[in-house]
Amino acid sequence: MQLLWQILINGVLLGGLYALMALGLVLVWGVLNIVNLAHGALIMLGAYACYYLFTGFGLDPFGALPVAMALLFCLGYLIQRCVLNLVIRAPMFNTLLITFGLEVVITFLAQMIFSADFRTVNPSYAGANFLWLGATVPLVRLLAFGVALGLTFALWLFLDHTALGRAIRATAQNLTAARLYGVNPRQLYALTFGIGAALAGAAGTLYGVVSQINPYIGSGLTGKSFAIAIIGGLDKSIYVLVGGLFLGIVEALTALYIGPTYTDVISFGILVVVLIVRPTGLLGRTA
Amino acid sequence: MKQLFSLLLATTTLLFGKPLLGAPIELGASVQLTGQFANTGRYYGDAYQFAIDKINAAGGVKIGSTREKLVLKMLDNQSDVNLSVRQYVQLVSQDKVNFLLGPFASDFVLADSAIAEKYSIPMIQGGGASDQVFSRGYKYIFGTLPPASDYFQSTLDLMGQLKPAPKTIALLYADDAFDVSVADGTRKAIGKTSMKIAVDQRYSSKASDFNSMLSLIKSQDVDAILVAGHETEILNFIRQSKTLNVNPKLYAFTVGVPSADFRAALGQDANYAFGMTSWVPSPALKDDYFGNAEQFAAEYQKRFGYEPDYHAASAVADVEAFVKAIEAANSVDPAKVRDAIARVDFDSLYGRIRFNAVGQISLPQTVVQVQKGKLVPVYGPKGAMEKALYPMPAWGKR
Amino acid sequence: MKLASTLALSVVVVGVLATVPWWGSAVLVQFGINALILATLAQSWNIIGGYTGYPSFGNSVFYGLGGYGVAVGMVQFQLPFAAGLALGVFLAVLFAFLLGLPVLRLRGHYFAIATLGLAEVMTAIVSNLEIAGRNIGLILPLLKGDTLFFELSLALLVITTMTVAWISRSRFGFGLIAIRENEEAAAVMGVNTTLYKILGFALCSIFAAIAGGIHAYWITYLDPTSAFDITLNVKMIIMAVFGGPGTIFGPVLGAFVLSAISEVLATKVTSLAGIFFGLVIVAAIVFMPRGLADLVRRFRQQGWRYFQANIQAHRV
Repeated sequence: MQLLWQILINGVLLGGLYALMALGLVLVWGVLNIVNLAHGALIMLGAYACYYLFTGFGLDPFGALPVAMALLFCLGYLIQRCVLNLVIRAPMFNTLLITFGLEVVITFLAQMIFSADFRTVNPSYAGANFLWLGATVPLVRLLAFGVALGLTFALWLFLDHTALGRAIRATAQNLTAARLYGVNPRQLYALTFGIGAALAGAAGTLYGVVSQINPYIGSGLTGKSFAIAIIGGLDKSIYVLVGGLFLGIVEALTALYIGPTYTDVISFGILVVVLIVRPTGLLGRTA
Repeated sequence: MKQLFSLLLATTTLLFGKPLLGAPIELGASVQLTGQFANTGRYYGDAYQFAIDKINAAGGVKIGSTREKLVLKMLDNQSDVNLSVRQYVQLVSQDKVNFLLGPFASDFVLADSAIAEKYSIPMIQGGGASDQVFSRGYKYIFGTLPPASDYFQSTLDLMGQLKPAPKTIALLYADDAFDVSVADGTRKAIGKTSMKIAVDQRYSSKASDFNSMLSLIKSQDVDAILVAGHETEILNFIRQSKTLNVNPKLYAFTVGVPSADFRAALGQDANYAFGMTSWVPSPALKDDYFGNAEQFAAEYQKRFGYEPDYHAASAVADVEAFVKAIEAANSVDPAKVRDAIARVDFDSLYGRIRFNAVGQISLPQTVVQVQKGKLVPVYGPKGAMEKALYPMPAWGKR
Repeated sequence: MKLASTLALSVVVVGVLATVPWWGSAVLVQFGINALILATLAQSWNIIGGYTGYPSFGNSVFYGLGGYGVAVGMVQFQLPFAAGLALGVFLAVLFAFLLGLPVLRLRGHYFAIATLGLAEVMTAIVSNLEIAGRNIGLILPLLKGDTLFFELSLALLVITTMTVAWISRSRFGFGLIAIRENEEAAAVMGVNTTLYKILGFALCSIFAAIAGGIHAYWITYLDPTSAFDITLNVKMIIMAVFGGPGTIFGPVLGAFVLSAISEVLATKVTSLAGIFFGLVIVAAIVFMPRGLADLVRRFRQQGWRYFQANIQAHRV
């Protein structure tokens, strides 16, 4: 029983990290209809940003978080403005392919610049943990969970209750009408992708503290983020919390009761089943 | 369409021109210089080149009355097995190299060695230790890594001498060829001791999350944890065992501990971890070209900027084995050299090089432990060496 | 007549290619086998992606099943190669029917993601199957002599292309194109869309599976990651798209051109090989999203403005 409780705690905390990872993807997908296969690569870059801020400037990861987010925002903005904006009205499939190409390019450049050595971000509190009702709770994962909640809430606030957020949603729904209202779609799309990249950067920052960083972690993270996004549903950014928690708990239980080699079978199996049975996700409206 | 085809034809004919025929002896290799295994692949790339440079500086290889230089033709397989297979075919059939040096990692060696066997070109590899490599009856493949199934033997011997004796073991292993071989062999070896396996878990090679396994281990009151996996996994394992406050009396790993950047990445958390190496840079290991292992390590560090480990030493041994075999056979004929390799017996900075009937070397593993940031050999082929710090203090008490 | 001259030209080209193992270097033959297999994959994708408009990211599953059919058949059951191929094809077609049915109900990028998910699931499942050697994979018996593999791959490509050519002229093919252009209208006009989609999916599974089986036997080694290689999916798609989806020779052209450049880089300028593919994809999607065939045709009329026109049409 004790073990089960610990596994559940592990699962919930993993879920928080997962939700954080998928948040940026969900934003860009749900709002811009861009399926970003380079999302994992952006997370990887966020992790490296945190690493260099930590080892180069002694900046604590939670202090580095906003900086990494800002850096990734600029990168995302540029990517959208200079590359993705050029193909965004083509069939959606094209953006899928082009983001894959970007993923290859980013990973390659990362290896060239950062080398293949793996890195870790090791602040003094990286191993801190405390006991809660009999389960050991790692501190950093709990904080990551908090960051996930905070950013999801902030995103919701932004999209629903600010003028800019509403402008973004309007442009996504009806480009022509938005234009008539004086919106500059190029700017707006770039801003949105930038925010998505910034969220990926936040996930990367924390990922570097709980796991290790190398240029190749991108594609695996993209895959996971996809599963989370679909399972939760793309309609509202808050659904990503559900998707993340669900997947985190299911994976933790699978690893214990079925076997650690089966987690991918379960995660992607659920992805496929959800797509077939309820494509709008566990919570989404049946369209 | 037609023009395109003739252009294609012309281009390809141009590329695959006449092979270079000449006196220098060409050694071909396809190594993971980029991609996810580049971290270890580079040891091979750098060591091959280093060994060849040293041997050439000493005059080269003696055949008959002349001395020939060695040339390295190395390709980057980008950590892609399929590409490495194609590259080995290219090395053999287009570049017409004389002999082959191997890549890192058993799954690469498994696939690439099939090419060497297919074309009857001897390959000496220092990167593949899994049992499958040597159980196919191939004649042209030789390996300088000791058999995977024996990897934990010295560790188990050490554990038998520790007090209080560890009674329960958790055995974790990745699901690739090498680690499964290690686990199978270790299981048999544990069966011969009085220790029991409490947890026996196979995990995916790509895994980064060990929380479930660690929680399971914690709930079972396990004395010792043995992990057979890859560096990145072991790194995650150690960090997560800290965050989940898992405190075995001892944990030992197949890889990672001997390499400097692994210990650097973990910092203080690396302390007390046990690892193994088939090689220590000791002055007792004498070498015809490098003086001894200690000198080799110093020169290597100076030239490449990082410390060598057993991968690099193994790679140097591969090159030296070829030289000894070519000189013994007094020819570069593949079949003659192959037979000569099977009979070599010499001392190198890596240890005694002698291949058994299936082409594998036998080197005992030295158990090492990280003590206050330094790598300390604690148990070697002749028994206990320096004192092992045991049991491992709990995370909160360090 | 255009048909007769195309046919004659194709026969000549195939005839010349068939003789390559006798005068080409071993490396050329090796490159040829690889390019032919990739071309077959691109061509098979063409059926479901190009003609039917369903961008499948899961063809690597058929490829992998074909490979494992051969591997398991030959290693675990000591069957001959042909029987292994048959087993692989059987598995692939079964998969196409069983999973095609639910998955083909999805549209556009949801279909793409679902097939991508299937590819991941298959990799994970096979890496747990004892009979398939789990994650370690299987070692196949060694067969010396690449000539056989070359001719087999060539024959396979020819058959696949002939099938695509037949499709482009048949009622079945028109049905597929109708589905691509407007599925609802096609259904209204009496096209049995479900049946046609499944048949298309099954057709591509057959060719992809045989390609996978040949490749596995040739490389003599198979493991889940290389069999169900996800990047293979993108490669075959980009080759088909680069060459011209929905055309008969487009994918073949795209496959050969991209393979040639990629191979040259991998062997000569190894440091750039990794990034090349990514850059090609980005450039191709931006400047020539309708493929080489379209480029060749329109370039004559529009010149350099063709590229600009593409961007203008698709940018925001």
